[in-house]
Amino acid sequence: MTPNDNPFARDHDLCSDHCGEHPTVWDLPHVPLGLKREWLRLETRRQFLGKGVQALGWAGLATLLGRNGVAQAAESAMATRPALVPNFAPKAKRAIYLFMAGSPSQFETWDYKPMLYDMVDKDLPESVRGGQVLTGMTASQARFPIAPSIYKFAQHGKAGHWVSELFPHTAKVVDELCILKSLHTEAINHEPAILQITTGNMFPGRPSLGSWLSYGLGAINEELPTFVVMTSKMPHRTNVQALSNRLWSSGFLSPEHAAVALRAGSDPVLHLNNPKGIDGDVRRAMISGVNDLNRQLFERVGDPEINARIHQYEMAFRMQTSVPELTDFSNEPASTWDLYGPKAKEPGTYAYNCLMARRLAERGVRFTQIFLRSWDQHSNLPKNIRLMAEESDQPTYALLTDLKRRGLLDDTLVIWGGEFGRTCYSQGTLTAENYGRDHHPRCFSMWMAGGGIKPGTTFGETDDFSYNIVKDPVHIRDLHATILHLFGLDHNRLSVKFGGLDSRLTGVLPAQVIDAILA
Amino acid sequence: MTGAKGRPGWRWLVALVGGFALGSAVRAETTFYQARIAPIMDRHCVVCHGPEKKKAGLRVDSFEWVMIGAESGAIVKPGDPKGSELYRRITLPATEEEVMPSDGKPLLSREEIKNIELWIAGGASAEKVMADFPGAPPLARPKAIAEALAPDWTSRAAQITALEQALGVRLLPRSQVPTDGLILRTASSPARCDDAALAKLAPVADLIVEAELARTRVTDAGLGAVAQWTNLRALDLTRTGVTSAGLARLQPLRRLERLNLTDTSVDDAGVGHLRALPELRQIWAFGAKVTEAADPRVVAK
Repeated sequence: MTPNDNPFARDHDLCSDHCGEHPTVWDLPHVPLGLKREWLRLETRRQFLGKGVQALGWAGLATLLGRNGVAQAAESAMATRPALVPNFAPKAKRAIYLFMAGSPSQFETWDYKPMLYDMVDKDLPESVRGGQVLTGMTASQARFPIAPSIYKFAQHGKAGHWVSELFPHTAKVVDELCILKSLHTEAINHEPAILQITTGNMFPGRPSLGSWLSYGLGAINEELPTFVVMTSKMPHRTNVQALSNRLWSSGFLSPEHAAVALRAGSDPVLHLNNPKGIDGDVRRAMISGVNDLNRQLFERVGDPEINARIHQYEMAFRMQTSVPELTDFSNEPASTWDLYGPKAKEPGTYAYNCLMARRLAERGVRFTQIFLRSWDQHSNLPKNIRLMAEESDQPTYALLTDLKRRGLLDDTLVIWGGEFGRTCYSQGTLTAENYGRDHHPRCFSMWMAGGGIKPGTTFGETDDFSYNIVKDPVHIRDLHATILHLFGLDHNRLSVKFGGLDSRLTGVLPAQVIDAILA
Repeated sequence: MTGAKGRPGWRWLVALVGGFALGSAVRAETTFYQARIAPIMDRHCVVCHGPEKKKAGLRVDSFEWVMIGAESGAIVKPGDPKGSELYRRITLPATEEEVMPSDGKPLLSREEIKNIELWIAGGASAEKVMADFPGAPPLARPKAIAEALAPDWTSRAAQITALEQALGVRLLPRSQVPTDGLILRTASSPARCDDAALAKLAPVADLIVEAELARTRVTDAGLGAVAQWTNLRALDLTRTGVTSAGLARLQPLRRLERLNLTDTSVDDAGVGHLRALPELRQIWAFGAKVTEAADPRVVAK
């Protein structure tokens, strides 16, 4: 083989800051030349599709457009005007996902079960449990004593929804919510469950919901990330699971679709500030130089990953201007602090993150996900769930109210929920004041608001034990299909060839948009 | 049959009359097929499997045709949904070659599939009525045929792109339906969007259906240009310099449905100018000087 045969020859396989780390197929000693050429041909076709940022969009667009006549017309027009366009007119332009990690109990929140008061400390009937396999945490319990909610419920709003006394603020805006009581999942442990609800799959490596939205729709504001994640300080720490960036990774999509994690404090995006002695002009010159080198490499080898890297350098540079403005709360009026509460001034709290989410929505960030951990109340549930509710109730109410009064709730979808449900029986000893609840995948509650959701409604029903669903089950893939639908995306058409499949957020099993909850 | 030999005609007559009577009694109530199955077929299938196209030799525009089946055989096996070709095809994943409806047309909803499944399981009857299928979920109303919000933009794509580049704004199709109009989007660089830029959008005035002008440098003068965008449905003027006087210019926006005046200096007098806009449903005015008494459509708190 002469150097001319080999476009990956050593003289130019250097991505500017990853100097020749990765051998190519040309470096492998025992691969026949014919096979290498075949690989090259395939690679060229793949890279052609991925060439250029616009063309990167095209790969998704081709899939999104599908095959029908209207889409073909749009496609031909799009040939002169590349853009990421929804399949149909969307109701939601952006979403804020309030992720209650660890999984709040449905019994103390949204799924009122008065019948359980008649059955306190009686055993869960075997007919209800139906032989279900339990976790190792309660499988060996001698009995499964039924534990009704220690917190009272009352009806609120025009629709008269039952809301727990733990959420006095959210109760004031319950007419904005659609409460889903019939979510279900296969996973009974946190990591697979949280992966399934954030990425549609229990195994790591898939693009998250926010990444799919970024891939399918692109940015509203090019100066800020399309997808932002924030984790919140916890009011107490019991059974806290780790959060990792695989919950907001772009998986097999280009890395530019992964979330940018905003941190608490003076340095919200790591490594964004210029080092001492480097001013903006020098930094601009450096980034331009690096990007020029990367572009030259891209011209020669066409690897889309190079463009993702260029994109990220440019995004980081733009964020040097846009993030300080975003995180400067000094011009918020007094009414903001009255609404969100005093904790909103403390960076990293859930209240602060909710206010930040409103500011991100205003500025056109497509998808914001706030994580609040420590809802995993296997024991001491009454005390700990109260701490969690006190931490989150007012800010959640404030966010909904603030979005609504500023005209943002119409096209901003707000989602609240955890990764699974909890058991109606007590884990550990049941007393008059104390109990715990184990994981329960067969049913759990969530709510959604704004962004094309029918307000003041509930969907789905569970049995008297909130153990099994008796009406309108909603699998996580149905939830995902519905969220994509609100963004104007057909979940069947938002797909990428990966691993031999047309890979989708909703996976390979049939998923249904829940028409009944659409406004 | 003994003893009937002498008067077979009479016996047949009774059977016949009885049959008709029974038939009409049943038909007085709409059958499940008519109420649920036929509409699903009409909505999704008849365009290709009807009197006009008959793809694969199949018509489904009546019960009789459905039961006749396709060239390859029956598509319904009464009592056995899983064994019925009809059910198999409509429940395949969207990416399967054989999925029906084909060619990327919308698939059947969960409720539609369930109705077909129950109908086949119940014997694929032409006679059974709604009451025979208590578990059949209601079908969603068929969506109204979307009205065109604006003229088709596709022939003007080059012009749109040129305007985007010249003005530093985005003019994005709202959807792949070319008559859904364009969104004027300025979020990336609101400071670049001023009254002069809006004036230059005149060539696409009829295409703009939503205008996102929050935080731009637009003032009352720019609203003169906006007033030409007669297909505008939503206008966001959050934190701009527009005033009550400027709103008087918006009279021509007869199709405007949503107006956002958050954090502007607009007051009740300004909102008064909007009283005659027939489609306007919601005016957001948090942080402005408007009171909710000014207009029932105002949200100010």
